[in-house]
Order: sequence, then structure tokens, then C-alpha cells
Amino acid sequence: MRDFLLGLVFAIGGGVVIAVAQTYPTMPSLQYGPSLFPSLIGAGMLIGGALLALSQVRVLAARRHAPEDPGLSRYDYRGLALSLVPCALIVFYILAAETLGAGLCMLLSMWLLMLMRGAKWWLALGVALVVSLIVTLLFSRYLLIPLPEGVLLPQSLAWIG
Amino acid sequence: METFVQGLAMVFNAQTLLVIVAAAVFGLFVGAIPGLTATMAVALLVPITFYMDATPAIAAIVATSAMAIFAGDIPGTYLNIPGTPASAAYVGESYQLARQGRARETLGTNLLCSVFGGLFGTLVLVFVSPSLAEVALNFSSFEYFWLALLGLSCSIFIAIGSRLKAFLSLTVGLLLSTVGLDMMSGAPRFTFGVPDLMAGVNFIPVMIGMFALNEIMLFYGSRNEARSVPAMAKDSVFRQAPATLRRYWRNMLRGSALGTLIGALPGAGADIAAWIAYALGKSRSKEKEKYGSGHIEGIVDASSANNSGISGAWVPALVFGIPGDTITAIVIGVLYMKGMNPGPTIFMNGGSQVYALFTVFFVANLMMLPLGYLAIRASKVFILTPRKMLMPVIFTFCIVGAFAINNSVTDIWIMLIIGLVAFVLARNDFPMAPAILGLVLGGTLENSFMSSMLKSGGDLLAFFERPISAALGALVILIWLLPTLIKHIRRLRRPAAATAGDEK
Repeated sequence: MRDFLLGLVFAIGGGVVIAVAQTYPTMPSLQYGPSLFPSLIGAGMLIGGALLALSQVRVLAARRHAPEDPGLSRYDYRGLALSLVPCALIVFYILAAETLGAGLCMLLSMWLLMLMRGAKWWLALGVALVVSLIVTLLFSRYLLIPLPEGVLLPQSLAWIG
Repeated sequence: METFVQGLAMVFNAQTLLVIVAAAVFGLFVGAIPGLTATMAVALLVPITFYMDATPAIAAIVATSAMAIFAGDIPGTYLNIPGTPASAAYVGESYQLARQGRARETLGTNLLCSVFGGLFGTLVLVFVSPSLAEVALNFSSFEYFWLALLGLSCSIFIAIGSRLKAFLSLTVGLLLSTVGLDMMSGAPRFTFGVPDLMAGVNFIPVMIGMFALNEIMLFYGSRNEARSVPAMAKDSVFRQAPATLRRYWRNMLRGSALGTLIGALPGAGADIAAWIAYALGKSRSKEKEKYGSGHIEGIVDASSANNSGISGAWVPALVFGIPGDTITAIVIGVLYMKGMNPGPTIFMNGGSQVYALFTVFFVANLMMLPLGYLAIRASKVFILTPRKMLMPVIFTFCIVGAFAINNSVTDIWIMLIIGLVAFVLARNDFPMAPAILGLVLGGTLENSFMSSMLKSGGDLLAFFERPISAALGALVILIWLLPTLIKHIRRLRRPAAATAGDEK
């Protein structure tokens, strides 16, 4: 079932890519232009996606007559939600780092991730604190990366930067 | 001679040697922790190598990748969980050996085979690539077009599992490679009005998203692992090794040669090399029946093959700029950043730089011996490092690493989006290597095609007019037809076999 949906996504995506590619200008000297490769790739996605979806249609049709397998139909939604937590934390970092500062954002994210997997809160806090200090020092002092410093605690953390 | 000494001096100084040791220890940790791959180790290393000179930067990558591939054997032996995919082929074998109380002996043999394989691949790299480069000097855009296409075709043909999915994975990489200003006309493509995308999608955030963030997401989506501490072995690391190696030196040589070759094929890396070497070793063995029940021969072939594959992958990467595996795909990006543009001219103009690169390979592989020995003695440390504490640290490195390449938040977004896409694709058994190859080779493919067309005035037959170009073209077409041909041969054989069976 998931392969069927992915095939559809690829096919539709391929169609969109082809449509967008047609808007690109062509070269005066050649009949090909910047639209050629995106169009070919789009066509590949369209055909490949359609093939994938079609191959699954056959499997699904065959399974309709077979008794339902309970293991296959149940999907691990809890696991999916948990695996999206790191992504949510990245968005949190992007949005909050300018105000809170990179170090504090890292500290909070790491602490949360460690607690999620059942680490002791004081140990997790300690490790997260040490690691975020090391990372901030390494990248902003030694490698001179302008990590966002934040506006909340600039003075108290001035000794790092 | 002078350039050779200069090259040696670039490696044998305190800074470079220190970098090699530090990188090897880093590779050891990443490789020994299940779920973290050698490619991921290298992708996370790049933001730091960015600020080094070319030689230490390359040394760091070589040492990390070689060490990570060996270290993948440690949890494989003790826990039956491969530390990196490259150890997956023979974990069953080494775990059985560990249960017989021979864990250290097994790891000692693994280590010696890894060092031998790495050095074998390095020798091939040193002796083959300069002569290949002389041939490659005559290449024009026509040949590079076919080479790029050959690399992409290989990555699909060799893929484990569905070829259709490998192809779709490739289209994702190719599509990413078209983002940015078109090289020929300067027209912006798929930039969505974001100025940072004008120069194209940056490679490192993509790699971090694809290989690190993806794994982190898989980790948090999985059930809690209850890991029991195994009884640690007390046997000697190297005492049995001389006898084993004397007995199975042919396996070592065969595994190394096979691994170097598979490593050099684009899209196939150490993991595929190990699988094929294990299968070949088993089919050629005199004691087939012992395989799977803890037979030391079973780890010799594959353990040599995965490390020689790591070195072999550098041959096409250096000579043609076509990566042999996902690690060298990153390496090519690093080489460009360091001004050592891969291609045949690197051997002509590079001089001391190239000698330094070769020396780094020898030093890094030999350094594995003492460091690997210590790691075997201290296996407990790697097995007991809890992933629940380590994954958040890697998560932090992902964000900062993606940001550090260009100091741009856009790159963090790219990492996030690619990580999500890779997560969905990987969970549904799409291989990742074709996507990476598509991203690296997409630009070469398109630019060489366009400049060839400009030269020939749009005549497609020009791709078959030069002899090397025509041969490469024929090879590509052969690879495309190979699956169909194999199917036909099998179909022809099956009725024949069936009738033969009837006659009996």
C-alpha cells in the first residue's frame, strides 16, 4: 500500500517537474536548453512512479481475495510520531536560536531527547550541558562559526564567545 | 624525488599525525555503535575538516572511514548487531565464534584482514590511478558524459533489492543536482526565489540529512532496546592469527582484490563488497558445511573486502571525479573545496600533494593496527556507550555541521527536508546510494552533454564518433540491457533444463 502511494507521489511529482521545466528559456543555438534535463528527470519520475504504483495494484488486487493479515494492516503511528520529534526540534532551533542562543537551544533539545529515552534527568542535564558548552566553544571559538548568541543571556555567557 | 619528500613531510608532522589518531578514534566510536555508518561519520566530520589544510583534511576522512569499517565488527561479534552495514554480511559467523569464547581471536583476525585489505586497495590506488589518469587526459566532454552515465547505471544495476526503486532514488538525486543557476544559460531552476539556492543545493547538508538525521529519526521511532552485557572474552587477540592467515591467505587476497574492484564501481561500496566476498568465499570453500556455525574462514574474505573497498573507491573518484561509494562522494566535494579538483590533472599538477595523499592512506591503515588492538581490548567501552545519550549529541552535530558550511540557516532547512525524504524512502526500502550519485554526477552529466552538443552542433551521433567514447557508450547500453538479457538466458535455459530432466 505504501509503495502504491509513493509511486503516485513520484508520478505526480514528475508531472509537476515537467510542467515547471517548460517555463525555462531555450538556448538560441540549440534545440535543447535548461529545460531538457529537468524534463527528462520528470519523465523518469513519472514513468518509474507509475510503474511502481501499477505493480502494487496487482499485489493489492491479489490480496483482496486473500484473508486479511492483521500484522500488515496495523501501522506504528506512535513510532512515527516519536521519530518526528527530532525534526520538530530542528524547527525549534531554527526559530528560537536567534533569541535564545544556539547553546541554550542545543542544551534544551539534547536534554529532551535524552529524557525521551529514559535517561536520568540529572545525568542527562549534565551531559547536555557539557556537550553544548564544548560544541559552542569548538565551533564559535576555534572554527569561528557565527553561531547565534541570542539576546537572553549575552552577558552571562560572554566568557564562552 | 623532491616532491616525494615534500609529500612525506606533509604527512609526518605533529598536526597531521594527531589528526589521524583523533579521526581514527572518532571513526572507532561511530563504527562501533550500531546505527551509525561510516558515511555518517565522514559527513559529520566534513564541517570540521573544512577549516584544515588539504592533507590533514583528507587524512581525517581516510582514517575515520577505514577505522569505522573495522569497528563495525566489534558489536557484530559481541552482540550479533553489525556496527555498520559493511559488517552485516558476516555477523552471524563472528557471533557464533564469540559464543565459543573466541571473540578476541575473531576480532584480531578481522583487524589483520582489514589492515591487509586497506593496504591492498591502497597499492592498487597508487599503481593503477596514475596510469588510468594518462588515459583520462585524452578524455573530452563526450567521454565524461558516458562515464557519468556509466556510474549512474552501475549504481542502479548493482543495487540490492528493487531496481525500480533504485532508479526512482536516482531521479531524486538528479533533480536536486539541477537546482540553481543553469551552467549554460544562467537561468535559475527550482530556486523558489531563495537566493541561497542560486548556487545549487549544498552537498554536505544533504549528506548529513540523508545519512545522519535519517538514522536519528529511525532510532527514535524504534522500540527501546534492552541490551544485555555479554560475557567478555579472555582469549588472546593475535596468538591464533598467524596460523589462520597462513591457512587462508588466498581468501585474504581474493577478498581484497574483489573488494577493491567492487569499491571502484560507482554506487557499490564496502557493504556490497562484503556480501559478495562472503558469498564467493563460501562457494569456493572446501568446508562449506562449517559456514554459519562459527567458521573463521567465513570472516577472512569479507573482512578484507570491506576495507579494500574503501580504498578502491578512491580510484575513480581521484581519476575521473566519479565517486566509487558514498564516502568518496563526500570526498569529491571536499577536494573541490580544497582546490584539489579531482580529475587526471591532479596527478600531473598535484606533485607533492598526491604523494601526501598516498602516504596518508598507508599511515592511516597501518595506524589501525595498534589502535584496533586497543579497541579490541577495550570493547566493553563501545558496547556500553548508551545510544540514548549519544544520539542527542549527534543530533546537535547535525544542526551545527549543516550550518557551519555556509553559515546559513537555509542549509539547516535543506538538511531537515532531505532527512524527512530519506526517512520515508529508506523505510520503504529505497537505496540511498543512487540518490547521492545522482546529486554528485548530475552536474557532470548535464554539463558534459550540453558542451558536447554545442561542439557537435546538436548531432547526437557525435557521442559514438570517438573510439573511447563509442566503447564507453556501448558498455553503458550493455549494462542497460543486461537485466533483460539475463532474464532471457534464464528463460531459454529453463525449458531446456526441464526437458533434460524429463529424459532422465
